[in-house]
Amino acid sequence: MSELLNTLMQDARVWQGHRPIQTSQPAEPTGYQVLDNQLGGIGWPRGALSECLLDAPGIGELHLLLPLMQRLTRAGKTVFWLNPPHIPYAPALAREGVDLDQVILIHTRGEGDFLWTLENCLRSPVTGLVMAWPDKLAAREVRRLQLAAEAGSNVCVLFRECRYAEQNSPAALRLELEPGDHQDLKIHVLKRRGSWSGQRCALAMAQRADLAFREAPRVVHGPWAGSRR
Amino acid sequence: MLWLYLHFPHLLLDHIRRSRDNAGALVIVEGSGQKVIQACPEARDQGIRAGMRLKTAISLVPDLGIVRADHKQEARILADQALWLYRYAAHIVLVPPDGVLAEVGSLQRLYGGLPAAWQTVEHALNDRQLTAWMAIGHTPLAARLLARSGKGECTADQGHILRSLGQMPLLAAGFDERTCTRLQRLGLNTLGEVFDLPPAELARRLSPETLARIQKVQGTRADPQIPWQPPHHFRQQADFVQEIEHAQGLLFPLQRMLGELEEDLCWRQQDTDSLLLVLHHRHQEPARLRIRTSGPEHRAEAFLNLLRLRFEQQPLQAPVIALVLSVRRFIDREAPSGQDLLGETRDLNEAWHTLVSRLQARLGAQALRRLSPQADHRPERAWSATEVARQTRPARTDLQQLPRRPLWLLQGPQPLTEAPRAWFAGPERVSGGWWDGQRVQRDYYIAQLHSGQLAWVFRDVRDGWFVHGWFG
Repeated sequence: MSELLNTLMQDARVWQGHRPIQTSQPAEPTGYQVLDNQLGGIGWPRGALSECLLDAPGIGELHLLLPLMQRLTRAGKTVFWLNPPHIPYAPALAREGVDLDQVILIHTRGEGDFLWTLENCLRSPVTGLVMAWPDKLAAREVRRLQLAAEAGSNVCVLFRECRYAEQNSPAALRLELEPGDHQDLKIHVLKRRGSWSGQRCALAMAQRADLAFREAPRVVHGPWAGSRR
Repeated sequence: MLWLYLHFPHLLLDHIRRSRDNAGALVIVEGSGQKVIQACPEARDQGIRAGMRLKTAISLVPDLGIVRADHKQEARILADQALWLYRYAAHIVLVPPDGVLAEVGSLQRLYGGLPAAWQTVEHALNDRQLTAWMAIGHTPLAARLLARSGKGECTADQGHILRSLGQMPLLAAGFDERTCTRLQRLGLNTLGEVFDLPPAELARRLSPETLARIQKVQGTRADPQIPWQPPHHFRQQADFVQEIEHAQGLLFPLQRMLGELEEDLCWRQQDTDSLLLVLHHRHQEPARLRIRTSGPEHRAEAFLNLLRLRFEQQPLQAPVIALVLSVRRFIDREAPSGQDLLGETRDLNEAWHTLVSRLQARLGAQALRRLSPQADHRPERAWSATEVARQTRPARTDLQQLPRRPLWLLQGPQPLTEAPRAWFAGPERVSGGWWDGQRVQRDYYIAQLHSGQLAWVFRDVRDGWFVHGWFG
């Protein structure tokens, strides 16, 4: 019995408010030291669901996962993009050093197919990372996905809208993403295993458009002054 | 060559009886519905005979099950028999309406002699609760005549076969009526007497066709047969005499059909993950049930459990008169995942293949794409998506020289609806496509919108401002 309890403690499944625990849960570093520190020094949990909640694309959400993608594809693991809302742009991914041979894009039609595909990807040993953009998921279905994720040992990130932040979710890690003022990405940790949540941090993401360390945006005077807008 | 002929004297009756769980008297009536042409043993016990008028039969047995003969249905059932026989013999010929011919001469070594081959087929017939009269002949026609007369024996001796054929009365020899009458008027009563006639006289006095037939029976004239090819899918149908009102009643015939599916899949060395069940109703459109398993499966029990669950969720809409089970998608069976002595090594390559083929099998090959950059200046043409297949492409070396691009590209440019909050970089002029008519003349900028999104916007030479990508 005590062994069982110890295991539960170690995996940080039992949430203890009074002291944060260093978990022995398998995880992948995010590649951003600031964020890793906020997540108890570990990063993306493996064999569990993570959720990124954001309302609009183009705030640096893919760059958040880029270090992981680079590392996994180089290690020969496959990265699945399931129902992305736009086209993952191959030249940009290649330029960032993602091995496109290991990237597979999947589009499913029905909701049943979506869940089935995600489950299958999660259970396979070849998968390194699954990024999925679900339409809408019932809490029961998230639970089912969490179980499937536990069967494998890969990172699964669901991208959902901010309005789901209020709903509870069985995901092990929940991050709310917002754009900052200086092209940075503000991250609010809504839930993590093993400790209090509520940490906030901001990651500099200006490099995603080669806007290197520019404090204030420089206004470029261009041909639009005389145009319609 | 030796031919084995299976004559099914009452195939339709057998087919219907084995889908029934209660044994009641059952007859098959001819198309017009007047005369009984086949009667099951229970019916025969109660005095019903083939050839009896239907009214008489009903007065003998009031709760008689009546099935009307249907040629299409009979042809289909016959093809089903070829399907299982194909597991035992390679060269099969369908002889409608009620016979199947199989070449067994080449199988003697496989089964260890003709009697063993004969027994194998007999055993298979018993398993399927089918009545068949079997015969072996040195020509297809000889085997057929012997089987139809019920005098088939397990022998490869040509002389013996010809002797038994010789004793056969002319009426059983399958000549047409006119030829038969003429032969009888010549004073001939058995086939043997016809064999003894000089061929030239036979052709001159009767007809060349009669001679051809005789020679085909004897084996002195070639009688080429068109081999039957098994279809690439599995299909089984059960027809019911009485409508089935409860799903529970469907499980009994389904059990047998799924058993045959399992056998078929084992024989193909394949699995499936999708079954189609079509329930035919008397007055309604047929109901189609698609059963999907989470993984490749071949066990009848697993399918039956899924079906049971499905029937619990979805009760029957109307009484069922026929049930069709079909499988069109087959998945190659995975080799049991071999573990080495330490139990650690796993063949990732094979696992990759398994996963991708499973996904493709269910979602369609088009649903899975792999991306690659293309050498083109126009952003919408600078990438391509291809179907996933395991082949490694030559690595590109000039990746670092690619221009800065956003990670998200929109399906098509979207009009820019607001003035951006800040402009960062640009313009980058992209002008090209004059060579293929897809002319593009744009100035690209990087701008941040009021929502905080970093966008890749362009100004078209004609149409104004558009968003073409997001820096995700």
